[in-house]
Amino acid sequence: MINRIETSLQTVVEDIKDFYEKEKHHFLTLNGLKLDEETTQIQWIFSKYGEVDDITMFYVDVKEYEMIPSIVEILPSAIISQREIVDMFGLDVEGSSKGLYLDEDSEQMPLGSCGI
Amino acid sequence: MANKKIINIPLGSQHISLLEPIKFKFACENEKIVEVDSDVGFVHRGIEKACVTKFKFDAVPYVVARICGLCAITHSLCYTTAVESLLEGEVTQKAKYLRILLVELDRIHSHMLCLSHTAENAGFEAMFMQIMGDREYVMDLQEKISGNRIQFDYVTIGGVNRDITVDIIKDIKTNLKLIKSKVDEYIDEFTNNWSLSLKYKDIGTLSLNEAYDYNAIGPLARAAGLKTDVRSETNYLPYDEVGYKMQLATSGDIHGRNIVRLNEILNSIEMCENIVGGLPQGDIFTKLRGKPNGEALVRLEAPRGELMYYIKGEGKPLLNRVRIKTPTFASIPAFMEVFKGSNYADAPAILASFDPCMSCTAK
Repeated sequence: MINRIETSLQTVVEDIKDFYEKEKHHFLTLNGLKLDEETTQIQWIFSKYGEVDDITMFYVDVKEYEMIPSIVEILPSAIISQREIVDMFGLDVEGSSKGLYLDEDSEQMPLGSCGI
Repeated sequence: MANKKIINIPLGSQHISLLEPIKFKFACENEKIVEVDSDVGFVHRGIEKACVTKFKFDAVPYVVARICGLCAITHSLCYTTAVESLLEGEVTQKAKYLRILLVELDRIHSHMLCLSHTAENAGFEAMFMQIMGDREYVMDLQEKISGNRIQFDYVTIGGVNRDITVDIIKDIKTNLKLIKSKVDEYIDEFTNNWSLSLKYKDIGTLSLNEAYDYNAIGPLARAAGLKTDVRSETNYLPYDEVGYKMQLATSGDIHGRNIVRLNEILNSIEMCENIVGGLPQGDIFTKLRGKPNGEALVRLEAPRGELMYYIKGEGKPLLNRVRIKTPTFASIPAFMEVFKGSNYADAPAILASFDPCMSCTAK
């Protein structure tokens, strides 16, 4: 069972800061889900240590031209998932450069709207 | 006082201590690593894309099993469990027990591979060969149960592909008994051998606080004392019925990670013995109806830590999304933190103790 919480690009960092307690919550990953040609749902997924299938998902529907804020200040380990979103979906995430999987000058974005 | 000179030294993408391509760039002050950068994208294969464009949902278990040779069963099982949660019908208890049996045998041989490489990195080649030789007992069992030593397509949507026979159960009991006696010897060597202790105690340490900060998982986290194991945090498989016990250490160093893996092998052996000693009656396969409609998120404990599959479908043969989060990929930031402050000379041994899987990471 996933506890889904809708948030916005303006408030997602504050929402996660309010929610996250490092000795209670485990950051699973950042996920992207293509909704249509222009819109991708970005999901920040957490579980709870020691609890059975206690999953919380913050999500925002993002347009291609919008900048996704970084949560690296709260969760340093999120940087690698953020870079994956940049490469795979061609979206912009604050402070996250391209080139994790793809070449830095690659025009391809396998899971984005111009997917190969 | 003169500025300290920083020397940049790469490790990888091809290096004698690496089994697969990954590159770390270390900035060193004399021998000490002060900064780390990594490049993990050498073997990206676009499998997430292929799973939603080229293969129908019931063929995907056999695709994701090819992500990794070592934990193929965990990949196919994690995906299959996610799909099954969106279909009508129930997998039998016997099939679930057989799934645990293969997952735990897989964990045993994967941990043995890691331990053999950590021994090799200390220059202990005899131990490397001994552990690799003993690992064959597990590989033989996997072949007898599934038909293949690795890359076995044992799990299918609705159950498993092969039943187990009385002869195989007898072989499992015999081989596990042999491995158990060998693991007791390894524990003695890894704990008391002077060269292994010198090389690995207090080296490559991740503290409990750092484990929380960097969301460490698997043996890396448990060696630092972080109580997390997906086997106790999900109920897709009946681990509570087969004798699962979480294995922890507190030192957070290479030695701690070795000991956690050794104790996990013993616990996996115990679970396998319990499974073959009390295997439920019934079918190994149930025909599940429908096509995946909705979203599902499933986690399983792979040998290297938490593996997660997120899938979304709309009742069609092709899924909308297959998201795969692999343990090594998620651990890269923690790896980089452990390297900082370590000696460059210890970097290959530290890396081997992480048991990295680049095939999973780049997928």
